[in-house]
Amino acid sequence: MLVADVMTRQVVAIGPDTPIRDVQALMEQRNVRHFPILEGRAAPDRPDELVGIVSDRDVRLVGADHPRAPAGVKASDPVSLLMVRNVLTAHPGDPIEETAKAMRSRKIGAMPVMEDGRLVGIVTATDLLDALVTMSGVHLAASRLEVEVANRPGALAELLALIADKRINVVSVMTTRGDEDAISFVLRVATVDVRSLARQLRAQGVSVTWPPDKPVEP
Amino acid sequence: MSAGPYRFVFDPELAGFELSPSHPFKPVRYDMARTLLLAAGALDESEVVSPRHVSDDDLLTVHDPRYVEAVKAASAKASRPPDAQLQRYGLATADNPVFDRMHGLVKGVVAATVTALDLVAKGEALRAANLSGGLHHAMRDRASGFCVYNDLAVAIRRAVDKHGLRVAYVDMDAHHGDGVQWLFYDEPRVLTVSLHESGRYLFPGTGFTYETGNGRGRGAAVNLPLEPFTGDDSFLECFDAVVPRALRRFAPDVIVVQAGADMHHRDPLADLSLTLRGMSGAYERLVALADELTGGRLVLTGGGGYDAYRTVPRAWALAWAALTGRELPGELPAPWREEWEARLGMSLPRTLEDDEPEPTPRAEAIASRNRSVAERLMQQLEEIWTEASAA
Repeated sequence: MLVADVMTRQVVAIGPDTPIRDVQALMEQRNVRHFPILEGRAAPDRPDELVGIVSDRDVRLVGADHPRAPAGVKASDPVSLLMVRNVLTAHPGDPIEETAKAMRSRKIGAMPVMEDGRLVGIVTATDLLDALVTMSGVHLAASRLEVEVANRPGALAELLALIADKRINVVSVMTTRGDEDAISFVLRVATVDVRSLARQLRAQGVSVTWPPDKPVEP
Repeated sequence: MSAGPYRFVFDPELAGFELSPSHPFKPVRYDMARTLLLAAGALDESEVVSPRHVSDDDLLTVHDPRYVEAVKAASAKASRPPDAQLQRYGLATADNPVFDRMHGLVKGVVAATVTALDLVAKGEALRAANLSGGLHHAMRDRASGFCVYNDLAVAIRRAVDKHGLRVAYVDMDAHHGDGVQWLFYDEPRVLTVSLHESGRYLFPGTGFTYETGNGRGRGAAVNLPLEPFTGDDSFLECFDAVVPRALRRFAPDVIVVQAGADMHHRDPLADLSLTLRGMSGAYERLVALADELTGGRLVLTGGGGYDAYRTVPRAWALAWAALTGRELPGELPAPWREEWEARLGMSLPRTLEDDEPEPTPRAEAIASRNRSVAERLMQQLEEIWTEASAA
C-alpha cells in the first residue's frame, strides 16, 4: 500500500502571512490539525513553494501560560513566526510502512505529500490507522486464526496450502511478532467454523494459538 | 375455518436438503421443531401454511443480478462454472459449497420468510414463523457463513417498500447479523439490533458498538458485542438495558426476530453459554415488546444453531410457545423423541430443562464488562438520537 492510496488529496494550505488566530479558526472549521504553508514564487509557471507546516499543538500554545509556549508570539502575529520550516515530506509512491516509521521517529502527526515540487496531498496518522484497518481485513466477514510457523522458507506457504485444500479463503495475513525460530501470523479466514479448521490444522501439526479448542460436552 | 392469529410456514423440501453431508448447517432441525410442536399439541395443522411463490426479481431487490446468475448456474452440474469463478461470489467454499437445486431451494427459504412477513403485514396473521429462514450473513453479491440468499432482507425490503412499514429487526444469533445490517445501513425505516458474541472472538468479526448506521440511517443500527461465557443472567440484563429502549425509540410497525439458537452452551461453534431458560426469556421479552409497540405483530425465523438435533428443536419449540403464549410439557413427548432417535441413531434429551453449564469463575468480571459495554452503547446512541431529533 502506497501513500497515494491513503493520503487526503483535498489538502487545505495557507500562506505564511496568515494570522495565527485565523489558523486556529480554520482548523476548527475544517476539522483538521495540520496546514502546509505555501508561498508563491516569482515565476508564474512554477508551483507554490512549501515553506513550512503548522500543527494544532503549535497554535494552541500561543499566548498560553505554559513552559513550551512560544515566547513573545501573539495570536495576531503571522503563522510564519510559528511554523516548522524544515518540513519532512512524503512522495505518493512511498510505501506507507516507511512513512509510518518516519512519522514515529520524528514524532510528527502528518506529512505533506510532494510530487515534482508540487503539493499533491497530506498523509496523517489517522490515514495510517485507516490503512491498518484495511490491511487487517477487519471490515470483511471472516474469523481470526492465529498461528505460529517455523522461521524458514516455505513454512507459511505450506500452511496456506493446507487452508486452501479446505476451500477456505484467506482474507488477510498479518505478522504479529517474530523471533529466530518462529513467526506468528494473524490470518483472517472466511469461515464460520474456524474452530473446526483449527482442529484439523492442529492434527496436521500446525501450532494454532487461536482459537482454543472447545471441549465437547457429552 | 379460521386458524387463529398464528401461522407456521412450512415446506418439507426446505427441511429435506443438505449443503453437504458433513456441513454443520442442518435443515432437518426445522422439521424436528415442527414435529415436536405437533406432538406436544402446541401447533395445530390448521396453522401450518405453504410458502407463496417469489420471483427472481424479488431476489434482485437486495441481490446483485450477476450474483443471482452465478447461483443459478452453479445449481446444476451441467451449467456449473469453474470453482474459481464461483469463489469470487463466496460459493464453492467450505462454508458455502454448491449443491444441486441450490438456487431453487434457497429461493424457497426466501419465499417462506416473505410469506410469513406478508401474512403479518396484511393483517392475515398476528404472528408468523419460518424456522427455515434467518440467513443473515448473505451479502448483496456474495454468499457468506452458510447463507446464499438473504431471506430476511428480501422480506424486510418488501415490508418497507410495498407495505410502507417501519421494521425493527432483532438478531439473536450468536454471530453478528452483518448481511442484514449492511443491506439496511443507510435505511432509516429499518432498525437493526444485533446481540452477539464479540467480533473479536467470532465470525464475522464485525458488529461493534460504533457501527450505528450511516447517513439517514444513522442511529438505526445497534450492536451489542458480548463476551464469551456471557450466560443467561448477563445476557438478559444486557437485553433489558438495550433492546426495549432502542425499539421504543424507533416505534416499529412490526418486529422481525432472527432466532439463531447458537447462543446455547452446547453449541460447538460459539461460546455465549446460555441455557434454554435464558433463550426462552429473550423470546418472551420480544413478544411482550411486540404487544406493547406493534399491536403484537412479530415474525420469527430460525438461523444458526449447530447442536442441531439435541438443542435447536427444543429452542425453536420454546420460541413458538412464546409467540403463541402456549405451554410446552416439561417432558418431551416420547413418541416424538423415539422416532427421531431411531432416525438419527443418537439419544435425545428427555426434557426442556437444561443442565446448567459449568460455572465460570470469571462470571462477575464478564457480567461487569458486558454491563459497561451496554451502558456505553446506550450513551452513544442517546447522543445520536438526540442529535437526529434536533436536526
